[in-house]
Amino acid sequence: MANTLKSKAQAGNGRLLYLYGISARNPKVTINGSIHGTAAVERLEDSGLTAWLSRVPETEFGAKLAANMEDLKWLASASVRHQRTVSRICEAVTLLPARFGTVFKSEDSLLQHMHEQKDKLLETLARIEGTEEWGVKLFLNPSPPASPIEAVSGRDYLRAKAMVQVKKRTALDPDVVEFARELQAIAADSAPAGKVSSGQSNLEWQASFLVRKKDRPKWDNMLKRYATRWADRREIQCTGPWPPYSFV
Amino acid sequence: MPNQTKADAILTPHNSGEDEASLLDILDHVLNAGIVLHGSLVLSVAGVDLVYLGLNAILTSVETALKHVEQRTLPS
Repeated sequence: MANTLKSKAQAGNGRLLYLYGISARNPKVTINGSIHGTAAVERLEDSGLTAWLSRVPETEFGAKLAANMEDLKWLASASVRHQRTVSRICEAVTLLPARFGTVFKSEDSLLQHMHEQKDKLLETLARIEGTEEWGVKLFLNPSPPASPIEAVSGRDYLRAKAMVQVKKRTALDPDVVEFARELQAIAADSAPAGKVSSGQSNLEWQASFLVRKKDRPKWDNMLKRYATRWADRREIQCTGPWPPYSFV
Repeated sequence: MPNQTKADAILTPHNSGEDEASLLDILDHVLNAGIVLHGSLVLSVAGVDLVYLGLNAILTSVETALKHVEQRTLPS
């Protein structure tokens, strides 16, 4: 990168800058917890934008970061710490959350990138102002024993079982499509959900939504209405509020 | 960490799988999302591609780990 040569304000002492996100305002708040050990959450302000960051050891977040991210134990702990910290910052300010694992070598390189993308960052900040991200998942209730697979031989049983599994993968239930449409009508935006939990048992459908804080009563009521309607068929799981990770 | 909302408490009777589910939810929201300041990721020597490769590898390893867990818990 061209900017590395003029980096005079290195993070120093074998430290790198771990970025949580960027805001327009710079409130003087203390954030408890961080991505690593006892590292503090600091703010770096420049020309109307504030970066929220911690100084982290280069040994763990430098060249080894990619390998660490493939270590599930490391990833589980770091992602929880990242999420907690970003959520706490979001309680104080409207924040554009940075992608997990965004690390800078120096204040100069961070500031330069912030400066280059200032217009776009401010535009996105305006779009997410007053909103929160919510995750919605639908789980099918396990089939009741009322409809067992009837079969006379082991071979028939396996064939019938295979058909049940094939059936599961067909098109979405029209009720679910209608549900998704109603959620979209209330939400400011929607996005496909992450892939990580796609292997969960009985997961029928999932998506992320950007919901205006003022629309929360409408949102909650709609979910309750469907939860009642579907009580015996499927379970609605709604998590949040999340920082607007999927909408920046 | 996002809390289960009041609505959620009504919607979902949670059981012992809760901790695992919330880590999955965190990974779902945190990975492959968030702003990217172009060219800024990790060190200039490591480069952007390395980080993206890392992310894909995570998703693959998480999916694989989950499949193992699922296979162990499924009766058959």
